[in-house]
Amino acid sequence: MIGFIIRRLIGIIPTLFFSSLLIYSILLAAPGGPEVRFAQNPKVTTAQIAAFRARWGLDQPIPIQYCRWIGVCNTMTGAKQLGDDPVGGLAKLFISEQGLPNFLPSGLGGGDNGALHGDFGYSSTNGQPVASVISGRIAATAILGGVALVVWILLALVSGVVAAVNRYGKADTIITIFNYVGFSFPTFWLGLMLILLFAGNLNWLPSGGMWDVREVPIFGTDEYTQLLRERPVFVLMDLARHLVLPVVTLVFVNIAGDSRFVRAAMIDALGQDYVRTARAKGVAERRVIVGHALRNALLPVVTNVALELPLLFTGAIVTETIFSWPGMGRAYIEAVSEYDYTVLMGILVITALIVVLANLLADIVYAIVDPRISYG
Amino acid sequence: MTTDVQDGTQALRAGVGDVLLDVRDLRTHFKVMDGLVKAVDGVSFSVRKGGRLALVGESGCGKSVTALSIMRLIETPPGIFAGGEIMFNGRDLLRLSDAEIRKVRGGQIAMIFQEPMTSLNPVLTVGAQLTEAILLHQETDKKGARRIAQKALEDVGVADARRRLDQYPHELSGGMRQRVMIAMALSCNPALIIADEPTTALDVTIQRQILELIKDIQTRTGAALLLITHDLGVVAETVDDVAVMYAGRVVETGSVDEVLLRPRHPYTRGLLESIPSQGKRGKRLSVIKGMVPNPFRMPPGCKFQPRCPYQWDDCGTGEPALISLDESISSRCFLHDPRFRDRLAAYDSPMGDPA
Repeated sequence: MIGFIIRRLIGIIPTLFFSSLLIYSILLAAPGGPEVRFAQNPKVTTAQIAAFRARWGLDQPIPIQYCRWIGVCNTMTGAKQLGDDPVGGLAKLFISEQGLPNFLPSGLGGGDNGALHGDFGYSSTNGQPVASVISGRIAATAILGGVALVVWILLALVSGVVAAVNRYGKADTIITIFNYVGFSFPTFWLGLMLILLFAGNLNWLPSGGMWDVREVPIFGTDEYTQLLRERPVFVLMDLARHLVLPVVTLVFVNIAGDSRFVRAAMIDALGQDYVRTARAKGVAERRVIVGHALRNALLPVVTNVALELPLLFTGAIVTETIFSWPGMGRAYIEAVSEYDYTVLMGILVITALIVVLANLLADIVYAIVDPRISYG
Repeated sequence: MTTDVQDGTQALRAGVGDVLLDVRDLRTHFKVMDGLVKAVDGVSFSVRKGGRLALVGESGCGKSVTALSIMRLIETPPGIFAGGEIMFNGRDLLRLSDAEIRKVRGGQIAMIFQEPMTSLNPVLTVGAQLTEAILLHQETDKKGARRIAQKALEDVGVADARRRLDQYPHELSGGMRQRVMIAMALSCNPALIIADEPTTALDVTIQRQILELIKDIQTRTGAALLLITHDLGVVAETVDDVAVMYAGRVVETGSVDEVLLRPRHPYTRGLLESIPSQGKRGKRLSVIKGMVPNPFRMPPGCKFQPRCPYQWDDCGTGEPALISLDESISSRCFLHDPRFRDRLAAYDSPMGDPA
């Protein structure tokens, strides 16, 4: 098992390398660039744009840009470092200031720039480090995604089992209709209608945001933490009120897939010989369903849920946008519209990492819950 | 019908006090999309205390449905218990509440299934599955249940029983798993063991061991055995009495010797003639022509008529009753109806019947 995990972790390296290369290529192939937002501004001169490009290293050859982003090359810029000797100068690119290969950890004499060293650069719109842009958003997304995921998986389990046990009965039909309606609903429309009804007409719940701006300081700041410590019930209730509508939206739209999945796995399990054996032993029906059938039906479900975990970090783009939730999904949309390539690269590559890790987690969990699986 | 014709279902009923399981005119039907399938339609037989009866027949003749009906393991719907009764120790199993039948299942009647590979739960240990039944039916705690489970495994010849308790089914061979199933069945000292094709899925070498084991346990514990099989060789070695089923009905009953050596019903005769044996070496093996009737288009008269080499016009008009021939033998065939005595003589002669 340990050997399997180590092998898989090593296998992640090429996967991430190629996905970062792919993401980089796609961003480069897209029209425009970080300087596009100045193009419409008459006060910005061509020389200023050229200076902007030089400052961000956008005038360098693309392979060198990528090489710097990933952290194999150092951050020396321009011909002055390359010097008169282009070949020797090029070699210098791979050497850190400490005279060792740049890709090594900085403690071992490598450089400190690039994704390899945890440095995803700075946002080209507000100059913040990408890492802090992401870390500021990831908690908000994890709260929304986490609550929604827990709610919808619990509901999917219950509704899936009930539907499977009453297959083709009334309960099954109602759950199936509910699932198909939810699955077919456009998220943005559902979100807007919920806002209209519960925030607009009824005025029961806030229409968006994560906290009440009149009463609570910005989420993630020290003031917020302090208020949370002083008046935890008030702050958490405020958070809960803001969570209701986006969570309902996410649950309603996402429950269908898992509910149907549980139903199918459960119907399959209930038809198995070992369920008949359990009944033949005189086991009560509830225990047959939960202890024997569900225990087996959970195996594929666990895998499915593990593969859904990246949502906790990547965020639900549409839902976060509609409910002005300050999470990763919105950070991503903002970065796209601002041509903020550094933030985009950071979000996309971290997403790739999380997806790969979630897959590994799914395999590990599968081996834990299913005694028949062992990785030699 | 003439008064000579007795109800053959009485034939297998020795003294009333002696009978453990008495299935009377059982009708288990299934409502499916295309209509009603009468999988079991008027089956009667009985098993004495400590007795051994085999239900024999082709696939689809209703023998497994009969067994599952006794355990009330037929899902309703689509299944319907359309008639009859299953008397077990003086109670009609079909009329018990769900809670009462659960006490019977596993506790008083235990069942061994055909597929040992899939009949054990893959995610639970052997011990967990054995103790589950023991805790349900016996007054004991977890430790005691584990002891009983280990004893049961040892009784069925599983070596290293203590270690096996903590293993999962996939770590055991097919024969070993069937032993576990048998251990599970006998762990609660049932009065009746139903074995539904217990050896069909096993290697030939293992088959004999498992049969011997079932027989051995049956004699040791004094439990009655209802063996369900299509294999007449297994029948000859294992049981005392036989009920031959065809198209949801019992067509012939009798002791093993009578049924296998002097089959009365043309279907039984056909079955026996289609078994390869030493005496038939070099000769073409005979087969029963045709196929089991479509459940939606059953023949109006005798269900075997379309395939029967001895059939005549009367067979298509009414269904023969199970006719009692002597104390233990009965046959559902017009040949044994006193009205057609002349035909019976012609039927009996090719088998070289001395009587």
